[in-house]
Amino acid sequence: MNLAIRWFHEEDDDRRPEPQLLTNSEEETYSQTTTHSPTLSDSQKQSLQIMVKKRVPDWLNSPMWTSAPPKSRSQSPPPPSSSNGDRLHSYACKSSSITSSNSLNEPHVTLPPPASIRPVRTPRTEIRDSSTRSSSSDNDITSSVDDVARQAELLQELSRKIVNIGELRRLASLGIPDAAGIRSTVWKLLLAYLPSDKGLWSSELAKKRSQYKHFKEDLLMNPSEITRKLEDSVYPKNGDQISEGKGLLARSKIPHGEHPLSLGKTSIWNRFFQDSEIIEQIDRDVKRTHPDMPFFSGNSASAEANQESLKNILIIYAKLNPGIRYVQGMNEILAPLFYVLRNDPNEDYAVNAEADTFFCFVELLSGFQDNFCQQLDNSIVGIRSTISKLSQLLKKHDEELWRHLEVTTKVNPHFYAFRWITLLLTQEFNFADSLHIWDALLSDPEGPQGTLLRVCCAMLILVRRRLLAGDFTANLKLLQSYPSTNVSHLLYVANKLSSHSTQ
Amino acid sequence: MVLVLAIGDLHVPHRAPDLPAKFKSMLVPGKIQHIICTGNLCIKEVHDYLKSLCPSLHITRGEYDEDSRYPETKTLTIGQFKLGLCHGHQVVPWGDLDSLAMLQRQLDVDILVSGHTHQFKAYKHEAGVVINPGSATGAYSSITYDVNPSFVLMDIDGLRVVVYVYELIDGEVKVDKIDFKKTSTATI
Repeated sequence: MNLAIRWFHEEDDDRRPEPQLLTNSEEETYSQTTTHSPTLSDSQKQSLQIMVKKRVPDWLNSPMWTSAPPKSRSQSPPPPSSSNGDRLHSYACKSSSITSSNSLNEPHVTLPPPASIRPVRTPRTEIRDSSTRSSSSDNDITSSVDDVARQAELLQELSRKIVNIGELRRLASLGIPDAAGIRSTVWKLLLAYLPSDKGLWSSELAKKRSQYKHFKEDLLMNPSEITRKLEDSVYPKNGDQISEGKGLLARSKIPHGEHPLSLGKTSIWNRFFQDSEIIEQIDRDVKRTHPDMPFFSGNSASAEANQESLKNILIIYAKLNPGIRYVQGMNEILAPLFYVLRNDPNEDYAVNAEADTFFCFVELLSGFQDNFCQQLDNSIVGIRSTISKLSQLLKKHDEELWRHLEVTTKVNPHFYAFRWITLLLTQEFNFADSLHIWDALLSDPEGPQGTLLRVCCAMLILVRRRLLAGDFTANLKLLQSYPSTNVSHLLYVANKLSSHSTQ
Repeated sequence: MVLVLAIGDLHVPHRAPDLPAKFKSMLVPGKIQHIICTGNLCIKEVHDYLKSLCPSLHITRGEYDEDSRYPETKTLTIGQFKLGLCHGHQVVPWGDLDSLAMLQRQLDVDILVSGHTHQFKAYKHEAGVVINPGSATGAYSSITYDVNPSFVLMDIDGLRVVVYVYELIDGEVKVDKIDFKKTSTATI
């Protein structure tokens, strides 16, 4: 039957697969896409299917693709009626892989052990919920064990005098556990903001922070203050104008022909007014960043301070980079970075988060600057070529899906991948999940783009069943609001794609 | 950093057709936060033009203004400064600094802006500062024909004001500035 399609799904190979309804429609679309002539005999269809089945590499068919480990199913209590229960259970498991109930939306929280949840299973909806919860809790149990081990390894690595960045990258690529609060330090090391030699940290940090302070003073001053400073340096303060009695006020020359209505290109006033447009746009975008998170928005003093910091960083970046200035979307890339660095448990780091984030942001964006430059759109480093790289990657790993998407349903990757790539997947997942994905992206030794493309490819492959069954509208809708999934599973798949890229 | 434009005595269309082109090229919307106008525009079109430069427009009535609804005097607070506005034809003798000082004490303002004489003046006395932006079109006045077009832009920043004087002399725009500070409790 349709064994070929069940690559990344829950079911083991030997189990009876999906309910009848889906099987039929799938078979139809399947044969639509693969048969060349409408009149194909059954045996020919069979052989075609077998052929296609052979094309699936063995490693993709292995049971390790199930997101819930197999042993959990053996532990589950027998359902009320065997065939019904099978159907319900398998249907429930499939629904957990494709669409998740709310339980998967929360960041990884260690749930109570499965045994306590499972007895509550009689009504159907509850079965679905509890089994998804149980599968995710199974995940959490096993992953929390992994987490603890990884956390210990990371802490050990960080405690060394000279941190081995390669080792750190390897550990980080599997995800950094939330509990230890080390994400901020690890990211700073991965982005090469902190040197690997711990002894140099304090001097490096002091140097960078004072550099940022100078940037702020130079670039964020308004022209009145600048002219005042200029004059105070040229004409030293003479006592006063205050104590005079009556008289005509003395007129004085303006320095360098600088006046507020000046239209000269080099005039600080003119540049100020030109920048004010960008500053307004930055202000608008910052106010719209993550409106659901109290860290970023709301009326509290801390939210306002955070927004102020985000604005300062973006304004200084725009002024220092007249080539790209500010492009909408940079605020989305900055937000998780600032969030992580600001929530560093170390007081000193948290207070100086703005300066640190600025340099990390510069480093992160340096690889992606070309995506934001409109003139480079069609060039070899621009966004179009990156999207076509993704397309090629998908073709290499899953030709059938590629063909169905691009040729049959004509879903041009530009429609969905543009946002995925330029915003580094921050908009496709909830905030906590995107932090996990960023762990993997930042840990790539050759820069985040490689891992980013692999994760995008994995995202497509994970929903391939729905994509293959869908037409242009359905597929586009699915990809533009990507359903939430288990992020560790996603990263695992992406990782596998890299190691088997020669196939 | 608040930019306030002080302008007046345009006498359009009776005594002058329009602002000088060089002034018009400099006055673009988006830069100025407030406009205070001493009066004698005289017609609605000039009012609309000034309104397009900046929505916050304050005018007092000059003797030739066609819109009779403008007030005789006006006071407003910008930043730390209190500004008073009056056309000046009401204060006799015209342009007399002592009489203007009396008006300033009456209005209780730090900076009094008044016009009518079509001559730029910036004068300081114990009660405060009097600024006359002159005539922006260079229209003749009841006193003299020899008038240079001029207006004033004030940059109010905390307790400090920088007054930029724009004059059109021999076809060229000349800009000068005047600085003064206010002590926090007393007036200037």
